[in-house]
Amino acid sequence: MTVRSDPATFRTRVTRPDDFDDFWTRTLAEAATIDAAPRLQPIPHRSTADVAVFELEFRSWHGVQIRGWYCRPTRAPAEGLPGLLLPPGYISEPAVPRDWAKRGYAALALATRGKLRSGAQFNPGFPGLLTYNIVDRETYSYRGMYVDAWRAADVLAGLPDVDRARIGVAGGSQGGALSLVSAALRPEIITCAVASAPYLCCFPESVELSVSWPYREITDYLREHPQNEVAAWRTTAYFDVVNLAAWVRAPVLMHLGLSDDICPPETGYATFAALGGPKSLEVFKDAGHEAGAYWMAPRVEGFLAEHLRPVAVAPAAAAPEV
Amino acid sequence: MDAALKTYWDDVDAELAATDAAVEIESSRRMSSPAARVSFLRFTGIGHARLTAYLSVPAGDSPFPGLLVTSRYGSVNNPPHPFDQERYVALVLNHRGQRLSDVPWRAAYPGLLVEAIRDPRRYVMRAIAADFLRALDLLVAQPEVDVTRVGMTGGDLALVAAARRPAAVGAVALTEPLLLYRLADAAARTDAYPYEELNDELRADPGAGPAIAGTLRFFDLPALAADVRARVLLPTGDPGSIGGPEWNEPLAEALGGRVQQLALTHLGAKDQDAVDAWLSGQLGAPARPRGWQVVA
Repeated sequence: MTVRSDPATFRTRVTRPDDFDDFWTRTLAEAATIDAAPRLQPIPHRSTADVAVFELEFRSWHGVQIRGWYCRPTRAPAEGLPGLLLPPGYISEPAVPRDWAKRGYAALALATRGKLRSGAQFNPGFPGLLTYNIVDRETYSYRGMYVDAWRAADVLAGLPDVDRARIGVAGGSQGGALSLVSAALRPEIITCAVASAPYLCCFPESVELSVSWPYREITDYLREHPQNEVAAWRTTAYFDVVNLAAWVRAPVLMHLGLSDDICPPETGYATFAALGGPKSLEVFKDAGHEAGAYWMAPRVEGFLAEHLRPVAVAPAAAAPEV
Repeated sequence: MDAALKTYWDDVDAELAATDAAVEIESSRRMSSPAARVSFLRFTGIGHARLTAYLSVPAGDSPFPGLLVTSRYGSVNNPPHPFDQERYVALVLNHRGQRLSDVPWRAAYPGLLVEAIRDPRRYVMRAIAADFLRALDLLVAQPEVDVTRVGMTGGDLALVAAARRPAAVGAVALTEPLLLYRLADAAARTDAYPYEELNDELRADPGAGPAIAGTLRFFDLPALAADVRARVLLPTGDPGSIGGPEWNEPLAEALGGRVQQLALTHLGAKDQDAVDAWLSGQLGAPARPRGWQVVA
């Protein structure tokens, strides 16, 4: 078995570039000029008596069409529904979030650019997304993806039946990273965030410590193009969640697996330390990348309910039999 | 195995036999490392589907055990895990519809589980099972593989492949959820995806139940299990749950002495390492735990 130092003692060597604030101010100012033009399309065969299911579309960075599954209870209370943004993992497609709608949330499972439902205009593939133009912050894949998460927060907050004063965000891995990114870039909207095993934290050290994909994409890229290492780390500093974490003001619940071979727990600790608002952390010694999700589920549900105050709906009607 | 079930799967093999695999192997400079040579494979499956896979071969003197990773229920597969690259000739298939094997047809999520499910010959899982069989045949044909030590990981279709190639497969670790096993029962008990895809299908067409049941009978794992000769590791969830001990009982009973059940702890690294220890032991390879020990 591999032997490592206590991950809680880890200190990252990643620092904020001098023009970090300017870069994001400029990026979001340009993004704000794009008309999101959100549209909801009902999906009747995935809807039930309790939950209405829609496909949501909106425009994001460079006009890329972004989609997601939007579910809300069919009977919305007069005071509106809390919104819950669910950003996706790196290789997974978003699931239809009916379970969250049944708990009383207006839930948006986002397909960021490059996902199947949002890949018509931008689709670097897998492997490939993590290293797409990694030598240039202006065109790096995650610039658009972070804007997708930023834009999704205000699209969700602006939907009918959603109470824009109660918007949370939750996800694991890349979804955990994008949860923190949304909270950092939309502090005026996001009221709480859950991040499980967040990805995209402390890029250089994650590449050193992780033994698997997706970080292995960068290992493989740099083995083939070692001359671009300085440029790659210069770019990723602008997108490193550890550098964005200080802008998070909402309460955050984070959980980590201490035997996570995909997103090293060291980098989760470093990001947790950098968060700018109220925060709590749970770690699981024998958990991997799932970060103890089975054991954390009641805690996550309670945390979101405490901050977002959902109103649960009645059980679903029975489905026809096979 | 009843005659209709045998005929259904014999027809799949007949289609495979009539289809030239037309294999192309392209070495990947980017993914290869001092530990292993990684290649990208292209080949043809039934229905003229052009498929892809990652193939890794450890550095050093062959033969090595072979490992076929049958794909997860999702659009993207990672190349073989680096720890597997070091120990096995490992093949990860991108089955039809998944990324890199998605021209001209791309799988939908949700949607794949019920794609053409009302017609047993057109049901997508039949063709995907054929993709896995083709991948297994390709793996076993690699000169670096010790054909007496071949294992598989995956879900329902790994077991189907083991049933159809009993002489080729020595060990199967069921590392993915069983989606086709008791699918109608599962969909009646939960609204969680991907099981819920079946309920969505029935909402769209309430009269489709009998046709769907007629298709699913060809994926009856307990019936197919009679032909499995491999040792099987069957992870088991909580009592009373889908995947729990009672849920798995018909399958475990059908596999008889060939199955070993693993009670999941829901701590991913611990469960992963238990699977790895079992599979590596079956295949005569060293265990490579992914967990680590923390020192002060």
